Amino acid sequence: MSIFEYNGSALVAMVGKNCFAIASDRRLGVQLQTIATDFRRIYKIHDKLYIGLSGLATDAQTLYQRLVFRHKLYQLREERDMKPETFASLVSALLYEKRFGPYFVQPVIAGLGDDNKPFICTMDSIGAKELAKDFVVAGTASESLYGACESMYKSDMEPEELFETISQALLASVDRDCLSGWGGHVLFV
Amino acid sequence: MALRGDWVYENNGGTCVAIAGSDYCVVAADTRLSVGYSIYTRDYSKICKLADKCVLASSGFQGDMKALQKNLSAKHLIYQHQHNKQMSCPAMARLLSNTLYYKRFFPYYTFNILGGLDNEGKGCVYSYDAVGSYERVGYSCQGTGGALIMPVLDNQLKSPSPLLLPSRDAVTPLSESEAVDLVKDVFASATERDIYTGDKLEIIVVNATGIRQEFLDLRKD
Repeated sequence: MSIFEYNGSALVAMVGKNCFAIASDRRLGVQLQTIATDFRRIYKIHDKLYIGLSGLATDAQTLYQRLVFRHKLYQLREERDMKPETFASLVSALLYEKRFGPYFVQPVIAGLGDDNKPFICTMDSIGAKELAKDFVVAGTASESLYGACESMYKSDMEPEELFETISQALLASVDRDCLSGWGGHVLFV
Repeated sequence: MALRGDWVYENNGGTCVAIAGSDYCVVAADTRLSVGYSIYTRDYSKICKLADKCVLASSGFQGDMKALQKNLSAKHLIYQHQHNKQMSCPAMARLLSNTLYYKRFFPYYTFNILGGLDNEGKGCVYSYDAVGSYERVGYSCQGTGGALIMPVLDNQLKSPSPLLLPSRDAVTPLSESEAVDLVKDVFASATERDIYTGDKLEIIVVNATGIRQEFLDLRKD
């Protein structure tokens, strides 16, 4: 089993009309045994910026702690919150620092930029950014998520519809993946 | 090492889907044949009509698929001579399973879906692995785009869950045209994200009046 499949995870972020939603499953496992059914994979950086970290849970937690540290330092120095694009570059740089001994995580970043313009992106474990205008997925259920999101996504969805769509896509996809499941957390801005 | 057998097989890609309804069965597959990152042809049918009410779709290694089709058609012909009737879909399903298991130690590299009407005229879909393990289901998809399509079918077909006990009849309550529309939608989505799926979609609908064929263009990139 690959190291990325050790804990199991499913993450998806979608863009709507001046809003975004980011969702994750709730299972934490050790290979095939379930350890927790209420595990949070999505962390808040500031009110309009969230990061979800899929992959190895220990690396996800360590990386989150490093990112929070860097963001707090940024807030002290610049006296403002980080823009999502800047934050994405920060995550990318931190991951590439460990190019030859990487963090086994795949981050999904979602935030609102200037003028409340939604921003989403994902990266591989060594920091290659992938910006998307519609949706991004990560985790063990990523193939199923690609299929489900591709079928269900429409551009410029209103908040209620976006919430319905992302929930249905997540639940349908994790139901076909044994390493993720036990419900979902959907965060909505 | 002589033990590595993967040089005898090739994965030609592609995706197959089948949906069973109350009095119809839809079987669909794309028509792209690829090897590695290249396309051999955009116009290759992965669906084979085995009997009046029985259609086989396979993805995987098309060389083995052709051999399997020939094998099954020959056996079906013998059956027709001996019993003076066409083979029913459940009988063909068991025959396919046995044929696949016969080659348990040098398998046919095919992931099959058998679709058709059972003896009562209800739609039936049987899904297989490469060595013949099979199950009657209400819908199935196999191939490189299978993982992308399955959750959408779970969500949209409103079939009873296969995990419920007592086990319920798995056919979908959707109408024939709704099922065909859904198949077109899921293939369009799978084509976007799977490089081995695309070009054209071949849809076969089996119902009481016979077998009907339809084509739909998909993205060619």
